[in-house]
Amino acid sequence: MNSLKVSILNKLVRILISFFFISLVSFMIIRLIPGDPVTHILGERGATEERMQELKKLYGLDQSLLKQFQIFVSQAAVGNFGESTVSHQSVMSEFKVLLPATIELAMLSLIWASVAGVLLGILAAVKRNSLWDYSAISISTIGFAMPIFWWALLCIFFFSVQLQWLPVSGRIGFEFEVPYVTGFFLIDSLLSENSWAAFLSALRHLILPAFVLGTIPLAMITRITRSAFIDVEKEDFIRTAKAKGLNQSQIIFKHVMKNAMPQILTTIGLSLGQLLTGAIITETLFSWPGIGRWLIKSIEARDYPVVQAGLFYSMLIIALTNVVVDAGIEKLNPRMRAAK
Amino acid sequence: MKIKHILKNKNLTIGLVLFSFFALLVLLSFVITPYSYQEVFAENQLNLPFWKSGANPLFWLGTDDLGRDTLSRILIGSRFSIGIGLVSTVISIFVAASLGLISGYYKGRTDLIINQVMESLQALPSLLLALMVVVILGSGLFNTILSVTIVSLPAMYRLVRSAALIECSKDYVQASTALGASHTRIIFGHLLPNCYTPILVQSAVCFSEAVLNAAALGFLGLGVQAPYPEWGTMLSDAKNYIQQAPWLMTIPGICLLFLILSTQLISDGLRDQLDPKLRNR
Repeated sequence: MNSLKVSILNKLVRILISFFFISLVSFMIIRLIPGDPVTHILGERGATEERMQELKKLYGLDQSLLKQFQIFVSQAAVGNFGESTVSHQSVMSEFKVLLPATIELAMLSLIWASVAGVLLGILAAVKRNSLWDYSAISISTIGFAMPIFWWALLCIFFFSVQLQWLPVSGRIGFEFEVPYVTGFFLIDSLLSENSWAAFLSALRHLILPAFVLGTIPLAMITRITRSAFIDVEKEDFIRTAKAKGLNQSQIIFKHVMKNAMPQILTTIGLSLGQLLTGAIITETLFSWPGIGRWLIKSIEARDYPVVQAGLFYSMLIIALTNVVVDAGIEKLNPRMRAAK
Repeated sequence: MKIKHILKNKNLTIGLVLFSFFALLVLLSFVITPYSYQEVFAENQLNLPFWKSGANPLFWLGTDDLGRDTLSRILIGSRFSIGIGLVSTVISIFVAASLGLISGYYKGRTDLIINQVMESLQALPSLLLALMVVVILGSGLFNTILSVTIVSLPAMYRLVRSAALIECSKDYVQASTALGASHTRIIFGHLLPNCYTPILVQSAVCFSEAVLNAAALGFLGLGVQAPYPEWGTMLSDAKNYIQQAPWLMTIPGICLLFLILSTQLISDGLRDQLDPKLRNR
């Protein structure tokens, strides 16, 4: 086995252990809250002893904790999280409808954050101590410190309430009937009748939440791009390239860019994990029907099967992006392979 | 560090000035608040702040939807944000930094176990982890502090651990081992003073994340509960009046932004100051 495989395997084992921990926690959530779930379902009064026993048997609560945990893990592994105690639908079927909305939002914010962030970072690094540089530094510093919920409120206030350019909530205008094909409204709207108007409406609904959600990744990507560029520019081979008489754009795009890329791509990859899981506040504020809003609603409604599924999903996404980014970077950067 | 050096460091200076402003707010809140934070003036609902014409001179920053004085609420709210930040940072330094030192010093199985636990904490995004803790324990001030602290542990632990690992391989540690110094003495007498740079820098980061996460919890209605005027909770109330009274969300938001900004500037400044290799980034 080569070193790449070993390192991925190593990583996977650690992730499995983490998974075990978190499934233990999400399993325990139901058991840790005050009062047992059966009373929670039946209500404080009006439950006979037989009915309680019956329900306990139904949910498998009459078995030992160890056995219960075993059942929980084996069911979770095949994607069965039971049914929501609020809507009484299977958790998985609800999840499948909501996931495309989250992915759509995350992808658009990632695109805007990485394009704008990388460009701004490069400009700042190339024109150091210029107006570009100072504005890039300020944007990234303020972006890091910005409480996202306030930023979202400000954007809603300016763009939706004051200027009335963009809609405040939802995924598409009420007048459009969109058939469910892929779940991505940007695609589905094109397949509906009145396709262009529907597509534009879907896009207009996406812009504001994607802009808000992308702000923190933008700050991060700008900062990392700038510092990676500045670091690479100090290297000997850049001096050689200059001495060889290459012009600035050749140096920047061929030599500096190539060597700064692993660091930038790591940041972008890790932000994707953050975006796919961390959109709770943005989705709630913009009434975006995605995973984050679903999760917070279920937390408020004490809908534990959904909360467990949400936890599993988030862990899976974070773990997957970590592994993929690590493997990708090692593939991209021969020096990292040599270092092992 | 001399004052002259601090003044040269722009980040540190601005950060410290901003932070002392907020510290002053907290002190001020104990001396003078115009009204009680929960006193309701029913006939003065949604009064305008001073920069708008038609403002009520009795309420400088206006009143909220129930007719409570915004200035008093902001002043009292500063205690919550800064208090939560401070307490959680101190706990985090004690717990995570000592765990990091222990892990880096003993290595082996101890390190493996602690490291794995910390890594598991990082398996979830920070806000979600904080939410989970609050779901299990219930909302409120104490549990908010606990949850933002748990969230901040892994980052501090990792930094201190890697610093401790580097320090352990240096000669002075081996020398003191050879001289027969006890484990505790080496860890807290020798390693700790040599790891203070990452601890100091990270505690500023830790403070800002604690403030941000606590405010986010408050905003989602799961943090400090009403009627306490935590800034995130105030913003959550204000969002329902975004059309009629947009000024309600200005002041708590600005306060939060600048408080977080100040500590981040301090941490950047400290890093430049204490670790000259990283300067000019």
